[in-house]
Amino acid sequence: MEPAVSPTPVTRTPNRTDPKDKPRRFDAPTRLEIITGIIVALFLLGFPWLNPGYRILSLSITTAFTAVALYGLALQFGQAGIMSVGHSAVMGIGAYTAAILATKLGVGFWLALPLSTLLSALVAGLIGLPTLRVSGQHYIIITFCFCALLVIALTNGGSFTGAATGLDVGSIDPIFGISFDRLKNAYYLVIVALLLCIFAYYLITNSPYGRTLRAIRENEPLARAVGIKTGFHKIGVLMVSGAFAGVAGILQAYYLHHIAPNLYGAFPSLYLALMVMLGGSRLLYGPLLGAIIVNFLPEVMHLDPIDSRIAYGISLLVVILLLPGGVSAGLLRIYRWVARSVNQSDRNDRA
Amino acid sequence: MTALEITGLQKRFGGVVALNGVDLSVDPTKITGIIGPNGSGKTTLFNVIVGAHKPSAGRVAWHEKDITGKSTAAIARQGLVRTFQQAMSFSGLSVRENVTIACEHGRPRGGTAARWNSAEEILDFVGLSGLGDQIAGSMPFGNLRRLGIAVALGTNPLLLLLDEPAAGLNQTEVAQLMELIVQLPRVGIGVCLIDHDMFLMSGLCERLTVLNFGTKIAEGPPAVVLNDPKVKEVYLGNEI
Amino acid sequence: MQTLIQQLVNSLSVASVTILIGIGITLIFGLAGIVNFAHGEFLMVGGMTTWFLVNAGVNFFVALFGAMIVVGALGFIVERGLFRFTLDRPMNGFIMSIGLSVILQHVVIRIFNEVQKTIPDPVGQVWVIGGVNIIAMRAIVVAITAIVVAVTYFGISRSRYGIALRASIADQDTAALMGIPVRKYVTGVFIYGSLLAGLGGALMIALFPITPFTGSVVIIRGFAVSLIGGLGNVGGAVVGGLLLGLVDGLSAGYGSPEWTDAYSLVLMIAVLIIRPQGLLGGTLGPRAS
Repeated sequence: MEPAVSPTPVTRTPNRTDPKDKPRRFDAPTRLEIITGIIVALFLLGFPWLNPGYRILSLSITTAFTAVALYGLALQFGQAGIMSVGHSAVMGIGAYTAAILATKLGVGFWLALPLSTLLSALVAGLIGLPTLRVSGQHYIIITFCFCALLVIALTNGGSFTGAATGLDVGSIDPIFGISFDRLKNAYYLVIVALLLCIFAYYLITNSPYGRTLRAIRENEPLARAVGIKTGFHKIGVLMVSGAFAGVAGILQAYYLHHIAPNLYGAFPSLYLALMVMLGGSRLLYGPLLGAIIVNFLPEVMHLDPIDSRIAYGISLLVVILLLPGGVSAGLLRIYRWVARSVNQSDRNDRA
Repeated sequence: MTALEITGLQKRFGGVVALNGVDLSVDPTKITGIIGPNGSGKTTLFNVIVGAHKPSAGRVAWHEKDITGKSTAAIARQGLVRTFQQAMSFSGLSVRENVTIACEHGRPRGGTAARWNSAEEILDFVGLSGLGDQIAGSMPFGNLRRLGIAVALGTNPLLLLLDEPAAGLNQTEVAQLMELIVQLPRVGIGVCLIDHDMFLMSGLCERLTVLNFGTKIAEGPPAVVLNDPKVKEVYLGNEI
Repeated sequence: MQTLIQQLVNSLSVASVTILIGIGITLIFGLAGIVNFAHGEFLMVGGMTTWFLVNAGVNFFVALFGAMIVVGALGFIVERGLFRFTLDRPMNGFIMSIGLSVILQHVVIRIFNEVQKTIPDPVGQVWVIGGVNIIAMRAIVVAITAIVVAVTYFGISRSRYGIALRASIADQDTAALMGIPVRKYVTGVFIYGSLLAGLGGALMIALFPITPFTGSVVIIRGFAVSLIGGLGNVGGAVVGGLLLGLVDGLSAGYGSPEWTDAYSLVLMIAVLIIRPQGLLGGTLGPRAS
């Protein structure tokens, strides 16, 4: 054990805090983060110019709004440690809010967007109240139940919710003359939303708030002991996560032009959990990777739906057992290994 | 001045009476201690004071405000902070992040001069210089203990309740711990500690309170208390 | 009166399957500390195995044992191969079990197909008891379940094994220091729970059709039953199962049938929030989070 270093002399005159030492709102990004951020943004925005074709572009749109939901899940699970297998239900709130506003009140996409987001956040916070009383695993079961309950409620909602057949949703109102019926424009809309979400996620995780969430995840009693209002923040992160899911939901509704209860049930929720674990719930691009892998794997490997689901399940097992940080963590490790080797060989060359 | 006043504190867990009407005044300018055999209610006392458990009866006052049964987080934000018997940390996070988190919460600094201006200074103070990047969970036990104290210090506390800070430390480490704790009142942080190490307790504490079966059986300077026959009988055994 | 008793036996037979799966979950979750979301799929595999064997000409009750063996073996493989590594991080185990359930469902679809499977009533008799016509198979299901419940209950509460188990969940380290082979016991409980799931699947297909997705329908009732009753509490699982059966019956009779599932879900959520240790009291599950 290190010998105790002589403590700061207590005769030192305390002075006002040096402004340079004031805690900053957000940690400054590293060079790697800036570079990868630019690469990812350029790739996502430039993707349509690679002429991917109608089907791939459609798949990309689905992947993108799914990723938005996954960033919410990554916030609540990766940062705060609260897993949910009911995240689809929150997406469903967003989607159905948008659809009901459209069909019953003629409210279009742009006005419905904040409303969907808000309502999803509120519902997510409400569903989150049990976390204050029960443990993580019990809470997961509760989220599963809420999901099932929502499906039942939607199916029995009569004409208000469109019952089992669901609701039709029109088009997004054009802005600045841009029509979103063109697939490419729809793609850009969703990608912009995704990039904004990733940015928001980045700001949250690299701020004192992110540290607070991680503290709650790592050791809740200790977090309380240092003055963190754990209950308040848990509900808070669930609401933020819900907001992300709400955005994903309304995007999904306006992309599919038709929503039905079975889109937001137990299975979709399980797949969301699976995607976020597969990609990695803690690193910045984990959720995006998870969405890409799960959505594109069947395409790339020409798997039919059944085999692809078996593949998902197996990959999840492999990830949990061997690579708990997900594929993103694995990639980061490879990058670091390469960087170290390059450094090493540089040093060897110079020696 | 007794900033922490405990009157008539009782705590029952089902049929077990853990605290049986304890009165205690803790002076935040000094180092005081609580000793007693295992099961005498010492940790329960701390738990109840900081709101981890609600008392069955009694009152806890901090700077004359009633804080009985308030939440641990609220009490910590008022400068009354406890450490844990087990070496607790935010194990997956770095040492520096551990302390930074505490600094970002805890008692509001309110623009007055801070004792320490950064996490690094606190780490230096407790003897963890240069270890800021290490993952807390990977550290040896002795360092984890120091980290626990560093985290508590990060909250800008007025009074620290240390629960068995010497448990698991060898003699050298205990001596280093004593050197650390003795500095605290000089920076304006009072200390009340629980421990079983008599060398530590008699060396550090100006006052000792002895609990047995949830009742206070003696109180006073260590020399007096440790020679009290009641205390000897119950705790130290008659042979000493 | 006739119909009432018939209804009772019918409800009990449905509840029996739920109770069997609930006991498995309550033991595995409550005493071995493993949350296995794929437990419903275990039941489904049991049912599918039974269907396969019966269609191959095997007698139902032999097929039943076959199903139990298959699912028991599955449980052994899964516990040793997967859950063993996540015992100290139950959350990871839970997430793994989600993957496992997806795998099992779709492997079964691959091997058989998505179409629902049924078998003809294995006994095909109608008993007349006290002047009431009762379908024999249903009564048999209830009887078998009752026996299993009794055996399990006395096994857990009286036997050395059971007491050691309950000690392990309370404090794994101390139990291990006492010489209790905690790991072996965990495997044992898991296998036992799997056997019960296999049995449940066989009995279920004797009464109703099953599909590869039956597991995910049943699992939530299984969790409901064990959480409502209290984890690790066999009697609690029975009470939970009967309670849910009652709720179902009332809902079918007086409420709207579409909301049937909702009532049990709401009931479970309510119990989890108001009394997390369950109605009859049980463990709170694995202490690690």
